[in-house]
Amino acid sequence: MATVPTILLQILATFIAGSGLAQASSSSGEEFSEELQIRPLRDGRVASTFSFRTFLHGATPRSPESLGSDDKSQHYHVFPLALGQILREYAVTELHLSMNAGKWNYDEWGYPGELGVATGAELWAWMGEGGIYTVDERWSGLRNALSGLFCASLASMDEQRTTSPLMTFVPEGDLPNWPGPHLLRHASLPSEHVCTENLTPFLKLLPCKSFSGIASLLNPHRLFDADWHGMSAHVLWHASQGVEVRLSFQLVSDPLRQSSSKRRDWSFRSLFDRSIDNRCPVASSSTIDVKLPAEEAYSLEPSPSSSDGGIGRYNLNVDGHLPSDIAMRWPSEFQYPLGSASVPLVPLALQRTLTGASQANGHLAVRVQNRLNEELRVVYLETMPWLVQFYAHTLSATVDGRKHAGLISNVSYFPPLHHSRPTTFQAILTLPPKSTVALSMDVSKAFLRYTDHQPDAQRGWDLPPAIFVPLRNGSDRIDGHSLGQRIYTPTLLVDLATPDFSMPYNVIIFTCTVMAFIFGSVFNLLTRKFVVVHLDDQHKE
Amino acid sequence: MSLEYAEDRLWFAICRIEYPLSTFFVAGYVWMLVIPFPNLGRFTYIDENALQPGQVTTYFDWGNVHTADLYLAELESLRDSNATSAERASYITTQFKRLGIPAASQAYEFDASVGSLKGVNAYAAFPSPRSSGTEAIVISASWLSRSGNDALNLRGIATILALADFLKKYSLWAKDLVFVVSDGYLDGMQAWLNAYHSTLQSNLKAEELTLTSGVIWTALHIDYPGHSFSHLGIFHEGVNGRLSNQDLVNSFERIARSSGVPTVLYDHIDWRDNAASRAELEIIPPWVPSFLRDNHDVQTYAFQAKNVLRHVGYQARGQPSGVHGLFHQFRIDSFTIFAVPATGPHGFHAIGRIVESTLRTANNLLERLHASFFFYILTGPYRFLKIGLFLPSAILISVAMMFSGLKIWTDAGWVRDDSPTDSKTTTPQEQWTTRKRPVLSVLLVMVSTHIIGALVFWLITRSAVINSQSLLALIFLGVSTLPMVFVTLFPSPSAAVPTSSVLKAFSLCLASTVISTTAVLNFSLAALLAILLGVPMTSARRIDSVPIKVAVSLVYTSLAFGWLVWPQAELRSAVWNWDILGVWTAPFISIVYAPLMLQSSIVCLS
Repeated sequence: MATVPTILLQILATFIAGSGLAQASSSSGEEFSEELQIRPLRDGRVASTFSFRTFLHGATPRSPESLGSDDKSQHYHVFPLALGQILREYAVTELHLSMNAGKWNYDEWGYPGELGVATGAELWAWMGEGGIYTVDERWSGLRNALSGLFCASLASMDEQRTTSPLMTFVPEGDLPNWPGPHLLRHASLPSEHVCTENLTPFLKLLPCKSFSGIASLLNPHRLFDADWHGMSAHVLWHASQGVEVRLSFQLVSDPLRQSSSKRRDWSFRSLFDRSIDNRCPVASSSTIDVKLPAEEAYSLEPSPSSSDGGIGRYNLNVDGHLPSDIAMRWPSEFQYPLGSASVPLVPLALQRTLTGASQANGHLAVRVQNRLNEELRVVYLETMPWLVQFYAHTLSATVDGRKHAGLISNVSYFPPLHHSRPTTFQAILTLPPKSTVALSMDVSKAFLRYTDHQPDAQRGWDLPPAIFVPLRNGSDRIDGHSLGQRIYTPTLLVDLATPDFSMPYNVIIFTCTVMAFIFGSVFNLLTRKFVVVHLDDQHKE
Repeated sequence: MSLEYAEDRLWFAICRIEYPLSTFFVAGYVWMLVIPFPNLGRFTYIDENALQPGQVTTYFDWGNVHTADLYLAELESLRDSNATSAERASYITTQFKRLGIPAASQAYEFDASVGSLKGVNAYAAFPSPRSSGTEAIVISASWLSRSGNDALNLRGIATILALADFLKKYSLWAKDLVFVVSDGYLDGMQAWLNAYHSTLQSNLKAEELTLTSGVIWTALHIDYPGHSFSHLGIFHEGVNGRLSNQDLVNSFERIARSSGVPTVLYDHIDWRDNAASRAELEIIPPWVPSFLRDNHDVQTYAFQAKNVLRHVGYQARGQPSGVHGLFHQFRIDSFTIFAVPATGPHGFHAIGRIVESTLRTANNLLERLHASFFFYILTGPYRFLKIGLFLPSAILISVAMMFSGLKIWTDAGWVRDDSPTDSKTTTPQEQWTTRKRPVLSVLLVMVSTHIIGALVFWLITRSAVINSQSLLALIFLGVSTLPMVFVTLFPSPSAAVPTSSVLKAFSLCLASTVISTTAVLNFSLAALLAILLGVPMTSARRIDSVPIKVAVSLVYTSLAFGWLVWPQAELRSAVWNWDILGVWTAPFISIVYAPLMLQSSIVCLS
């Protein structure tokens, strides 16, 4: 039973929150919705995508011109304040952060729900220019702030890793029409590992945390055991709707790995070891979409409230009965597909290797297979830390083993600067239909100062993935494949010439130095002749 | 007076460098004999703390053994039906695909001077859950076993398939696992590794790999030819005498021993294990008296000597002791686990658990193995010698050769002049005057011998020559006449030093440099060179009697190029190794070793 002061306090709190909301969002306020998509994959795995969207209707990003003056106060109801403060502090228009673990298998899993599936961390932002702070100053502040917010080492994405590849990272929302231009900043950190310490701050940004609604399935023990898992945060602005914040978590689980029988059956219990027991009260919509297998017999329990276009939908907010656990079962044991004749899920197949046994030079080889019956133009982006330098003149392309000219166009290449700027290599490739284009380029590996080496020097350096974007050619789709979506290659590891930092070598080096020193001195003393030189009077003058 | 005389004598002795030099020679050779000594060296230990060998619970159980048995039955039916390489590869890739692991095959063909070879490899790359796939561990088995006689490694392949089925159920792998079933013995893996690292080999036509993974850090090769096994043997020598990091071998040894399977070096079963393995002591010659034969220390010495000799045999020839040896050139630590054939008591269960545990240990690594554990001689599975305990033996001989060379060079520069130079001096004194030393002509002789060595090497790598005994004999006859040709072409100038002295000085210095530089790269080769070149080259001198000098010179020539005619099998295998695997022994022997010996032959003849 609530006492009178508590009730008063609650009324007061509601009033303050309400007035704050009225200030921050000029018109209809905030809206939170959550969605879970589950897709059984053809290799027996299950892909799940959690998305949590918050709209700040009618709001606009902060203009960099106003950075010197006091910002209007921020009062939000469901919008994540910690993130909102960062966005306004550094006047960020659009922001995408993703932190992933594992290799996304495009061939078997198709496109992911969220496109950013690069291994490790990736951050890119569009920011307006102008005002008293430069874009680079704000980018640095943004990295540090996000680093603190998500407990990740994003701060190390410094200018040695920052690039600006405009063709690949086009804004997903709208850009306000400010006097200054908008600039892109992009950085990736392939060695970053995502784990529980990143999930906890992520959950704190959600209005219902992980207590109710779909987010209650986010059980770290299961999420971080999945074959592939990653979280991302996206901020965009739609001129018509306002600011959108989308937090998402994706995972690919393998029911076959966890079960003793050869069955791909899954349920919330088996995938997450949790069930949904409460609704999230502030969510305006809360849905679960399950992609239904097209040509197989299966059973889905409980049955979805609506099914349309091969997708079964559960609406948690409308249904009288809350479907706490959803389970999909197949009648027979799962057989892995033996042939590779199955329909391709993405238009490209990629293979990228860094070869060469030498520690000074190497060879970057990329094979791109166009699986479509039409010619395809794709953007190819390589961003490399300065440790690896391209010999751009050695770039050559072959089609199915034969040399071919005119495949590479619109090359933009920023060579690296030691200790300051990474390489950016961006080009448009023309891929003939049903063919494999092999690109190759010689690279040289930097010789580091001994203080430049990482603590785990003998491991090598992680290199960011290459990115391919099939360009839209009038239409958005060819042969049922959607275009304009980024495809990442796996990351690479490069071995640089590394001194052996272990103790025996230190001893050898030290002893050799001492020996050389003693030998030099003794030899000098033995061979030099000491003579007293008498200078006569003439010389004195 | 007498005291002064004695002091003079002592001083004279010290000045004469021959005595210390011969001491160096003796010390070096004795040191080599001491290497297998039971109390030299120490027990192996694990240097890298991250490895933590044998600290995990293993889960490979009898169900997995049953899976392996099923695979084995199918492989045996493939063998019985004389399946082709392509059929075998297709069977194996299908099995991997059934397990949900992406698999592919690779056809290859070598066109070597000793004959061509072709086959099809099967491999599968398991992308480990949650890992970025930038590092990988290879688990491999070849179709043929190392035990020779066309023995097949069917149980090794069955182990790999059963392991693939088992290992993919765990999400704890931090590195991708790549399973390779290579065709043939060494050739298949050579083709696969070259394709994986995009290394060009002119005589190899191999398909590109459609599946790739990250940088390979560790490789385990399983060789299980028999029905069961009693011991697990370790083979660790690689191409060109490279060794894998000792930490890896030690970890495996420790894991196997703690799992109850005794380990041995190579297939040398400890003579104490059972009555049958006393045959391992046959290395002790029959004339050794029985009280010595039965002495424990003598037996240990003999057994360890057998291990060391086997090691030197592989390393000095640059020959890999198993398929694992091909990995070393790509900076991958690897060794072969050889299941020594026996009637029992161990089988799939033991090898499965041990490989699982070894993989877990390799999986623990955050960095490559890098501590200075690459230079060692294993005298037993768990005893080894550090570099400091064996390197000086070859270096002492090399030092002795260098100083003998320098002494000859210095001596050659001076001549005693007995004619009275000054009539005023009443007491005749020893007069030493300098004289010219023919450097240019000697260098010409040396360079041309090495060029001839290169020519011989070029000839023996032609398939027409290597396959014809008569042509090889003809080449040998040709090079045998060379010393005569050189002696007539470069006669000693009358006023100067005889060419032979300067030639001997230079070739000794060169040989010494070669030995000392090789000592760090490949100790066994350096030791062999020290034995072959040391005393013969130092004792080569000008002989006056014509028949004797021709005979001695012929002995040196046969030491230099005798391998052209005998043993033929050795020559063919060296050329094969050079053609297919890129082993440097054939070119090294023909371009470096043989010309040095030939120079000694010229020294004798001139």
